[in-house]
Amino acid sequence: MTQLLWTLLTLALSAAGLLMVLSRLRGIAPSANRGPVLAVFVCAAAVVGFLFLFYRTPGTDIGVAQPIPFSHRVHSGVKNIQCEYCHPYVAQSIHPGLPPVEKCLHCHKYIIAKHPEIVKEHWYYDMRAPTPWKKANYLAEHVVFNHQRHIKKEVACRECHGTVETMDRIRGKYFYMEFCITCHRQRNANLDCWLSCHN
Amino acid sequence: MDRRTFLKILASGSVGFATGYSPDPYGGSRPDKTLYSLVNAPEDMVTGAPTWYATTCRECPAGCGILAKNREGRVIKLEGNPLHPVNRGSLCMRGQAALQGVYHPDRLQTPMVKEGNKWRKISFAEAQHLLNGRLAAAAQGGRDGIAMVTETVGQTQMDLFRLCLDAWKASPPIIFEPFAYESLKGANEAVFGRRVLPSYRMESADLLVAFGADFLETWLSPVEYARRFKSMHSINDKGEKGFFCHVSPFQSLTGANADLWLACHPGTESVVALGLLREALAAGLGSGLPRPFLAELEILAPPFTRELVAERTGIAPGDYARLIEALVRSRRPLVLGTGAAAADASAVLTDMAANCLNWVLDPALSRLDFAHPHRVQTASTRSQVVEFFRSMKDTAPQVLLLHNVNPVYAMPGVESVEAAITNERTFTVSFSCFLDETSQLADLVFPVRLPLECWDEYAGKEGLPSTLQPAMGRLTEAPQLGDVLLAAYGGTDLKEGKAKAFLVSRFLNQGIVKDEGEWLRTLQQGGVFRERDLGASNSRSPVPQPDPSRLNPLRQIPEGDRSGFTFVAAPSLRFFDGRGANRPWLCEIPDPLTRVAWQTPVLMHPATMKAEALQQGDRVRISHAGKGIEAPIYDAPWVKPGVLVMPMGQGHFAYGRYAKDKGINPLALLPAGAEKAGDGPVHVISGVFLRRTGSREPLARTDGARIPYGRKIALSVPLDGLEELKQLRLPGLTMWDFPMTLPLPEGYDPTRDFYPPHGHDRYRWSMVVDLDRCIGCGACAAACYAENNIGIVGEEQVRRGREMAWLSVERYLDPVDASRVTFLPLMCQHCDNAPCESVCPVYAPHHGKEGMNNQIYNRCIGTRFCSQNCPYKVRRFNWFAWEWPEPLQLQLNPNVTVRSKGVMEKCSFCIQRIKEVHGRAENEKRPIRDGEAVPACVQTCPTGALTFGSLMDPESRARRLVDDPRAYQILGYLNTKPAVIYLRKVIQQL
Repeated sequence: MTQLLWTLLTLALSAAGLLMVLSRLRGIAPSANRGPVLAVFVCAAAVVGFLFLFYRTPGTDIGVAQPIPFSHRVHSGVKNIQCEYCHPYVAQSIHPGLPPVEKCLHCHKYIIAKHPEIVKEHWYYDMRAPTPWKKANYLAEHVVFNHQRHIKKEVACRECHGTVETMDRIRGKYFYMEFCITCHRQRNANLDCWLSCHN
Repeated sequence: MDRRTFLKILASGSVGFATGYSPDPYGGSRPDKTLYSLVNAPEDMVTGAPTWYATTCRECPAGCGILAKNREGRVIKLEGNPLHPVNRGSLCMRGQAALQGVYHPDRLQTPMVKEGNKWRKISFAEAQHLLNGRLAAAAQGGRDGIAMVTETVGQTQMDLFRLCLDAWKASPPIIFEPFAYESLKGANEAVFGRRVLPSYRMESADLLVAFGADFLETWLSPVEYARRFKSMHSINDKGEKGFFCHVSPFQSLTGANADLWLACHPGTESVVALGLLREALAAGLGSGLPRPFLAELEILAPPFTRELVAERTGIAPGDYARLIEALVRSRRPLVLGTGAAAADASAVLTDMAANCLNWVLDPALSRLDFAHPHRVQTASTRSQVVEFFRSMKDTAPQVLLLHNVNPVYAMPGVESVEAAITNERTFTVSFSCFLDETSQLADLVFPVRLPLECWDEYAGKEGLPSTLQPAMGRLTEAPQLGDVLLAAYGGTDLKEGKAKAFLVSRFLNQGIVKDEGEWLRTLQQGGVFRERDLGASNSRSPVPQPDPSRLNPLRQIPEGDRSGFTFVAAPSLRFFDGRGANRPWLCEIPDPLTRVAWQTPVLMHPATMKAEALQQGDRVRISHAGKGIEAPIYDAPWVKPGVLVMPMGQGHFAYGRYAKDKGINPLALLPAGAEKAGDGPVHVISGVFLRRTGSREPLARTDGARIPYGRKIALSVPLDGLEELKQLRLPGLTMWDFPMTLPLPEGYDPTRDFYPPHGHDRYRWSMVVDLDRCIGCGACAAACYAENNIGIVGEEQVRRGREMAWLSVERYLDPVDASRVTFLPLMCQHCDNAPCESVCPVYAPHHGKEGMNNQIYNRCIGTRFCSQNCPYKVRRFNWFAWEWPEPLQLQLNPNVTVRSKGVMEKCSFCIQRIKEVHGRAENEKRPIRDGEAVPACVQTCPTGALTFGSLMDPESRARRLVDDPRAYQILGYLNTKPAVIYLRKVIQQL
């Protein structure tokens, strides 16, 4: 949607510019309201530029901000902690599981315990409050994805989730049927509507 | 419009279309969701996988064992505990619906105290403080300053109540149960010398005669007796089947399952029983009985000749004679007494006569189990309850504690109840989670935890202590009743865990468990079940010598009062005594016999209707002794002419949105108080008048027809016709001679099939429905609602035929003999040649590779062609977006999509369960075992009528049952090749 809007605005701008150039080439006398017209175009360009910078600057697509800036790059990449340590149910259940706050504190009671962000984590623990992590990966609600089955078939985490170990924030994905079915076709996996994905 | 405007509209329209339309399944605006991580991970919780907790059902006093399926802290499904000797893995409709009590949107969150006429919400601490103060003051005031009324509770809780009440110088609590079986207890005391409610070993009988006992619906322990009944009343390997005769003025669901229904006039059941006694004695039975007892019987029975019985009861002499012959010939007969619907002055006589008959027919009483009496025997009689409330007028206690009882609804005529509760001098505390009729009048409503959230013990039968444990996270701050009372007892603040400690120490002190370890093992399996099989128990208590003089009341010959109509308030399979009326599933699943949902019709014989010039749906006013109720008429051939039958349970004027002002309460017509002879309530009255009101109330019926109109739907076979059926060869292509065609490649015939055969990948799932075992209880339908997130549509939409049940138990009457009823559970037939698949323009019904017909919800565009083309009419269309008012949505099964408006849906054979089994088998690298995949309906069936399995496996139970000569396919001649195979009902005559 954003993309569409973006394209439309670009098109409109280019058309306007082209019109101006053409009018000059043909030698039509520039109208008296040239100044205001120009101002309108400048304003429009400024708005588009702002929107672009706000939403689409290369490098801002780094995933959703979390209540605590947990870095997968540090934990999974630098420290090389296995995915299953924090997502322990991935081979037992349809859900991989999220680490409870106490699990974070297993280490962070000792490691940089006084870091302001870790102090936040301690606060969550002390207040017995669940941490409101933002969801990054989305799957349509009429699909039940079973992590266990995929892990047991030795599909690596990164095949769907990408190189998590290089991401500070999880970039996340909106999974579409095409994504699933392409892989299921390649691997000769179950393609039955109900038996494989839908319930 | 000028050109410029047109272009403007066109341009803005296209931009709007282009921007607004999005093929994104997440919708134009992407959701921004939060994942909450736990603080501490409970060790028994794996997110995404269920954890099962064993506990005990407390929806009625039967006390079935349940396994509660917990997903991420909330219970989403209840299933029977297979280890529990009472129900052995099955659960009834009401048990399934216990969940909707926990998640009820009208469940009280906080205590409320009445100030003037208004409720004020207070905190639990305040409520406890208030209660402590009141109780302490009352206890100071001397003896009996405190009184308590409770429902039937387990012995542990009763000990706790007594401990507290003793300390407060109060008497033990009154146990109020609307169905307290006073006449059975009274008769057992008179004849057997023991005021108990023994269990019955129906499975070992070959002839069962019941005088109104509705043991398939509410009587004592319906799930247990349904199983025991069907183990004697289904066809065995030798081709034999037990016989069941029901003597009653109307057919309840139990009566509808009888081989022979003897329609007697109301109140004359005892005449039949004594008549049978006379014939049994005449045939020389009972000679081993104690002399004085036998002598007494020989005096009182002879007047009840066949002529007298025929004259007084209105039973056809031929049927009666055949019953006598069968009874005398029978080797293992068993006679059951009356149910709650037959409660009037004659009930205790009937039960006494039935007991005498049992004794004469079987002097050893080997089919009565006195070692395991039912817990409900502890309930006070109705006269005690009425007397209790009446006495409160003079000696009003300072505090009245009510635990889970609703006497204002259950005894509407008894004015002293309301007076006692609303008395200025009495501070009434109702420990109830719902604002029902009684709680509404109380001074303090103190919600306590429901059984699924409690630590407790309950033994539905003596010698079977079953444990209750919290099976879910807490939804409210409500404490457990035991904790509240113990806190008040100690005069302290509420502290959780005292009641649990009381429970554990009682188990240890009484030697029920040896140590902590055994306690944990007991919790895990749901109770102490040393006797796995109750039927085989030989520890029969000796029966003391009876006192013949107590049989005196039987000497009188009852005169049936025949003026006007007789009105019977019948206990309801769905609502029990009314406590189930606020569960939307129970309201929505129609009554098994009338197939009416949400409403309470009054049942009347068609001949009576004709005589009164009434039609089905006409509202009539029924009046008796100055009281009156209005109800729509239902045309029921299973009612004796002149009798009006109305199910109990509905017609609440409080009790939450699903119960309030729905249906009618028949108890409002009945006389207040208890009847004198048996101390029980009165549920039958004669001399009732009927007046047409002129208005009509269309019934919310879900049955299209009563008879199958000659089509191959609900088939039966006479017992002696089985051999013939075996010889049957079906060569043709018409309705009656179309051969059984399995939904397998072998069922493909190029000469009659248009579409190529379907190949299957290892499994071809199929269900076999044994109509001979199906009793029509509807437990399967309730389980289906619970498992598959089926929407509740309400009365108005049911009337328009928009109910959403994936599985409905259809009821068909025999066109010749309307008292013969066949129940037929009908769900998607998962046809091999599915008519729905071939008409869908978008391929939403899709044939899966294990043979199931898959409905792809997100593909469906709602043309409803499939439903039009389905000959079984099992597809359901979502006309609206159905609502689950908070927190009812917490019950939803996360593994099943909640369907939205405009989408077709239907039975999936519980695909989510099959997938789970697939996962398990794949983990263990083995094929799925037979019987491992179990849909919710099959799991809960109390009689084992449903069998599920793969037809590809030649050894599977389902595959072998298909070879039964009784097997057929509904409307099989359409060549749909259904995967649901039915086995004919076996009917027999004496």
